[in-house]
Amino acid sequence: MKLIRQIRGGREYRLNQNEADCLRSLLQQFPITADVSATISKTGADPETVEREKLLNESLAGHRKELKKQAMKLLAAEKFKKVENVYWLTLNPEEHEILLQILNDIRVGSWRVLGEPEDLDRKPPLESEKELAFYKMMNLAGHFEAALLHPVSGDIQPGHD
Amino acid sequence: MPSVLEPLTIPKRTVKTETGSKDQLAPTYYVICWNDPVNLMVFVTHVFMKLFGWDRQKAQKHMMEVHEKEKSVLVREDAEKAEFYVHQLQNYKLQATMEPAE
Repeated sequence: MKLIRQIRGGREYRLNQNEADCLRSLLQQFPITADVSATISKTGADPETVEREKLLNESLAGHRKELKKQAMKLLAAEKFKKVENVYWLTLNPEEHEILLQILNDIRVGSWRVLGEPEDLDRKPPLESEKELAFYKMMNLAGHFEAALLHPVSGDIQPGHD
Repeated sequence: MPSVLEPLTIPKRTVKTETGSKDQLAPTYYVICWNDPVNLMVFVTHVFMKLFGWDRQKAQKHMMEVHEKEKSVLVREDAEKAEFYVHQLQNYKLQATMEPAE
């Protein structure tokens, strides 16, 4: 997956057949893990922590449902345009952020399933086909995140990407 | 009734001033991002730029602080804003919390 150009209001990426298949497969499978309870405070020193944490988890669950809807939209045929042997994917800034959030949800979710390993460069002993699948998804999601964040040239100013 | 007007004693005008610090007026919170081995450095930098409107240099400084010191205090805000930022950061799956500022 390669960023080809930054056009007005969006970015255009080129993917080969294998990359397009992998990215669409990740989008189809999202979400790959169940909701995980999030923490809003490590100290819990504030009396409102419990209520705030409840709201946070409701908000995150709602956001995930919205991301699922957006994932389906990104899978629409017109988003991945095939020209000869390559695919073209054009993302506006909002779609770019949505795709990043979906991919990182997959990456972090896979990492949790794998037992939150510290060293990601070393392939952990995988005890099942399922673990191998999560390991692959974690790395694939990271690969696509890096591609999405690759600048065209120089820094991309905040608010303009 | 005195024929000469006695000077009036004008009471000293007391001006109410805020003597307390901002902390005493409303509690504030640190929004903290915690280290983990799974979020890509380039991703963390991007999220900081996006959410806080920081330039790349500032975002990278905080990202490196997370990476090297296990955490970085990103902003200090009132409860509502701090909560908002934690929600936004966690939407991106970054480990972020809000802690009372002392």
